[in-house]
Amino acid sequence: MNRRNVMAGMGAALLALGAGVWRFGMKHYPDTPYDDLLDQVQDREAAATLGETTRETAPGLAARLRAAKPLAVQAAADAGAGRTVEISGWVVPKSVADYAALARLNRPL
Amino acid sequence: MTAFLDARSVPNATILTPDLAIVGGGPAGISLALALADSGLSILLLESGGTSFDPKTQALYAGEETGVRYVPLDAGRLRYLGGATNHWGGWSRPLDAIDFETRKGVPYTGWPVALSDLEPYFPRAQELIEGGSWAYAKGAQGAPLPLAPGGVSTTWFQFSKTKDSPLPTHFGDRYAAALKAAPKITPMMQANVTAIRLSKDGKRVERLEVATLSGNSFMVKPRFVVLAAGAVEIARLMLASNDVMKAGVGNGNDMVGRFFADHPIPRDVATMVVFDGKLDPIYTNATPQPGNPDLIMRAALSPDAGFMRAQGVAGSLTTVENGAPLDTLGTAAVVATAQALGVDASRAKAWSLGCGMEMTPDPERRLTLSDARDALGMPRLKLHMTISDDDFAHFRLTLAELGRQLLAAKTGMIRLSYDSRAQWLAAMDWGNHHMGTTRMSADPKSGVVDANSMVHGIGNLFVAGSSVFTTYGSSNPTLNLVALTLKLGDHLKKVTA
Repeated sequence: MNRRNVMAGMGAALLALGAGVWRFGMKHYPDTPYDDLLDQVQDREAAATLGETTRETAPGLAARLRAAKPLAVQAAADAGAGRTVEISGWVVPKSVADYAALARLNRPL
Repeated sequence: MTAFLDARSVPNATILTPDLAIVGGGPAGISLALALADSGLSILLLESGGTSFDPKTQALYAGEETGVRYVPLDAGRLRYLGGATNHWGGWSRPLDAIDFETRKGVPYTGWPVALSDLEPYFPRAQELIEGGSWAYAKGAQGAPLPLAPGGVSTTWFQFSKTKDSPLPTHFGDRYAAALKAAPKITPMMQANVTAIRLSKDGKRVERLEVATLSGNSFMVKPRFVVLAAGAVEIARLMLASNDVMKAGVGNGNDMVGRFFADHPIPRDVATMVVFDGKLDPIYTNATPQPGNPDLIMRAALSPDAGFMRAQGVAGSLTTVENGAPLDTLGTAAVVATAQALGVDASRAKAWSLGCGMEMTPDPERRLTLSDARDALGMPRLKLHMTISDDDFAHFRLTLAELGRQLLAAKTGMIRLSYDSRAQWLAAMDWGNHHMGTTRMSADPKSGVVDANSMVHGIGNLFVAGSSVFTTYGSSNPTLNLVALTLKLGDHLKKVTA
């Protein structure tokens, strides 16, 4: 086995590993018009489960969220300032509830 | 040494003339007798029961109830020497300063004394309950639950524990020898005080009528009387003694028996999740302190005075109870929230929360006499029990604030279990901490006893125990009622001299 073959084999193995991680180790969601927001939510399924029915439309809700700070910043700020809401008794930052509602609105059928 | 006397052996028509008669041999009565043992006063301690449980004596407690479902009147207390300490859990904590204040927006609050008036008596009270060294303010060793600044913080219980025993101090057992050894104290068992007889002008107690279940009866003519039979029975005795004051002794303003209170202890009020799963066991268990096994402590969570004033909420003590499972929604809430906060929740754990709540004072929550009579011919009681929606709403505000502080500290989060009156009532249990029926007040129109625990207008009649609590706080009452009783003891030394 020469050096070229070894290098080629290692490259193939790394590609296979990367593909496996992408396929089985990461969650993938259908494209939505709101992925710039929903990409901030690591587990959209959990968020969609938490999300409550909202009167806001997805575009309206998304517009409001785009005008606010990123989720990671806004969630901590909401908690500190007491901007919390209850979802079936769970006390969560308002922004978490908003993103959860957006995830619910865009949950794949 | 004076042995315990048995009232059944006292001949009919006997008249006893001690300096002081104490009616009731529970923690208040025993503490008072011991406090005055060296005062020179001859003391007759009248206990309805004996030294152990007797169903016939216990049945004297039975009564009727209306309103919110409550513990039967003959089930939440014990009628023998030691009283309620025969079944207490030993949970102890001093009242807070705010508990004595007149609270804006909360009617009927405000004692005529302050916490500072009780503080000199806490060390001895702590000795009597055998609660270990005083560490309520300092707290225990251990890692406090990280909370962001806000309205709720960690506070501390200590626990009564009889030396060389795992049990809390049962005052009857623990202090029987001391009572017997005191030459000026005569403890008398099986002695039921059935009436307080006043002078014609209603300004002094002339005598007490005493009866036994075996059928004999006699009189006690003391110089001074202290009622220490518990908040329910004291009200009954005062209301039933209605020959001179037609509404009952000390009841010229229709205040005796009103403002009855207890500590509601609804179960599983919330679920608390800690993201990293780490919670010091002192939150979940009464824990002997290293190197000091007589000092047993447990952490709880309570609203601060500033939060209580700002939000108008009552006191509460929230405890962490058992591990709790998370359902699908709960798991989703934890995952979504922890990720948003940038916290690893892969080791998150959940616990159920319990609590002891303070009730807001309500004059309609009251004891009155019923038409039924007990085996001694005394009228039985009727309790009308209430609890307001505001009490639940206030406590819910406190829990929500705890949830906010957990989130802001990135420590964890909370789920509130109940949002309707029906849910709260379905989860309801009670502390059996009877309070408030002879409340303390500066003005006779708004209470039954004055700042020295003297019944308004009756110069030789006093009340000891949690019946004098004007507001109730959320602390368990025993330590506090013993301290108040010791304060009364000092006052009696002065007025009887």
